[in-house]
Amino acid sequence: MSRASNHQALLAFLDTIRRPDVAAIDLGEHENLVDSGLIDSLAVLQIVLFLETEFGISFAATGVDPGRLYTVSSILDLIDEFG
Amino acid sequence: MFVNLDVGVLHEPLSGRRWEPARLRLEVERRAAHYRQQQLAPGDRVFIGYGNCLEFFADLLSVWQLGATAVPVDARLTPFEIETLVRVARPRLFLHQGELEPSLAPIFEACNVSPLDTDAVPQSEAQVPVSSFTLDDDALILFTSGTTGDPKGVVHTHRSLRARWIALQQALGLESYRRTLCLLPTHFGHGLICNCLYPWLSGQELFILPPFSPQVIMRLGALIDEHEITFMSSVPSVWRLALKTARAPQKGSLKRIACGSAPLTAHLWEQIQAWGGTSEVLNTYGITETGSWVAGTTGGPFEAEDGLIGEPWGAVVAIMKSDDTAIPPGYGEPCATGETGFVWLNTPALMKGYLNRDDLTARAVSQGWFMTGDLGYLDAQGRLHLRGRTREEINKGGMKVYPADIDAVVERFAATRDMCCFGFDDPLYGQNVGVALVLEDTSADTLRELHAWMKHHLAAHQLPVKWYLLDAIPRTSRGKINRDSVAEACAAHEPVDLANMLGAGR
Repeated sequence: MSRASNHQALLAFLDTIRRPDVAAIDLGEHENLVDSGLIDSLAVLQIVLFLETEFGISFAATGVDPGRLYTVSSILDLIDEFG
Repeated sequence: MFVNLDVGVLHEPLSGRRWEPARLRLEVERRAAHYRQQQLAPGDRVFIGYGNCLEFFADLLSVWQLGATAVPVDARLTPFEIETLVRVARPRLFLHQGELEPSLAPIFEACNVSPLDTDAVPQSEAQVPVSSFTLDDDALILFTSGTTGDPKGVVHTHRSLRARWIALQQALGLESYRRTLCLLPTHFGHGLICNCLYPWLSGQELFILPPFSPQVIMRLGALIDEHEITFMSSVPSVWRLALKTARAPQKGSLKRIACGSAPLTAHLWEQIQAWGGTSEVLNTYGITETGSWVAGTTGGPFEAEDGLIGEPWGAVVAIMKSDDTAIPPGYGEPCATGETGFVWLNTPALMKGYLNRDDLTARAVSQGWFMTGDLGYLDAQGRLHLRGRTREEINKGGMKVYPADIDAVVERFAATRDMCCFGFDDPLYGQNVGVALVLEDTSADTLRELHAWMKHHLAAHQLPVKWYLLDAIPRTSRGKINRDSVAEACAAHEPVDLANMLGAGR
């Protein structure tokens, strides 16, 4: 899949895990998902599950730098790298 | 004096701070002197409203030095929940770090509680305080449920805690605990009594981390290597995440791992063994009322098996056909080897009772035996196997959520006609919280008001994440609610689209 379609899939997923009392926002690619209030810190782990189920990405052997799960741009980079 | 200050070095790996025992002693003395100036006296209760940091342990020991009772509380509780606990436990002091939630001030004033910022304890008051308490004085109160209604506070004395630590030392030794990591909350029996205090009060080094933090879990292998951790405990949901996101430790420092507070499957057990590079992974069985860890596989080589716990530590296990406290072990009918029944425990580490709730204590304790509410059996080797639970709780990632606490809040919402909350399977947490609702009206405004009502009264981890609007809550032929049946009925419906419904109102 292209980065654009990955982007679309990721935003659709983020919409399902965003905090229910936070309105959907037009998030910049480099904006921090937790600091922006869109998701809570535990939801980062849901992103890991999403990457595993949707893109077959496993971090079990290498681990993942948590900092790479906090912006749309860095998550897309992870998909490019591991997907 | 039997508050042992021959403790190990305390570390905060994330901040890089560490306190040697000499520094810890100074901190304890300084705080004890200050709290005594604030009129803290033997028998008083002190809420410690923060945790998982160096200062928490200094405060805990200083409270004990003054003969007072420590009540560590979950920092995530809402002001409403704190008020509920304060009104029951009537603490003298509420220790906090940094700014206090403004809405707590009038509550504390009404209940004659003095809030104290532990970071603001003066530097100049160091003096050696005098302990003035006995082994049978209350040491610790841990609230396990009822934060929204009728709090259930487990009261441990210095004697019962000491009994637990002595039993653990006999069963587990200390060698594996030389450098212990804790990433469990310190208001939680498993985290505080066993993961932290057992090794640390015996002079072992303790590395304390924020609880249930994704950033920590993802770095777990690296942290273990960096600090040459020999022991850690956790819960299955943390392991499921660590196995997905954290590289395995590479230096081979881990000697033993404990996993508790939720059922551990044989598959996950074996994965943890492989990840940690040690066969010594113990599926620990613990209950706050018994001082937490009370059994595990320490009787020699074993094969991982669903439900296997192992041998009791400082406790006698009896499997009975009844859970009636009128006929405890010795009076009622025991189960045969391999036969599943109710798990009863007898241990010198048993709690003194539930705070101000003799009725609850009488329903759980009889003739020195504690009725656990768990189902299990003993095999021919005397090892305990668990098969299920009879008590109501939702295990959300190792955090216990009590349905009755949520019911007590949602039932009081003006538009609620009927309701029932329940646990459902969740790939991330193991279980999560759902709620079935019958409302006077189901308009978006009403749902938004209900959400605000829940957020005001319930801590974030207690909030139902799936809401189902029903015409009626299913009941048994006797008119009772079975939460599992309600969960099944809800599974056939679409949950409310909370994200869009709540977001649209902003």
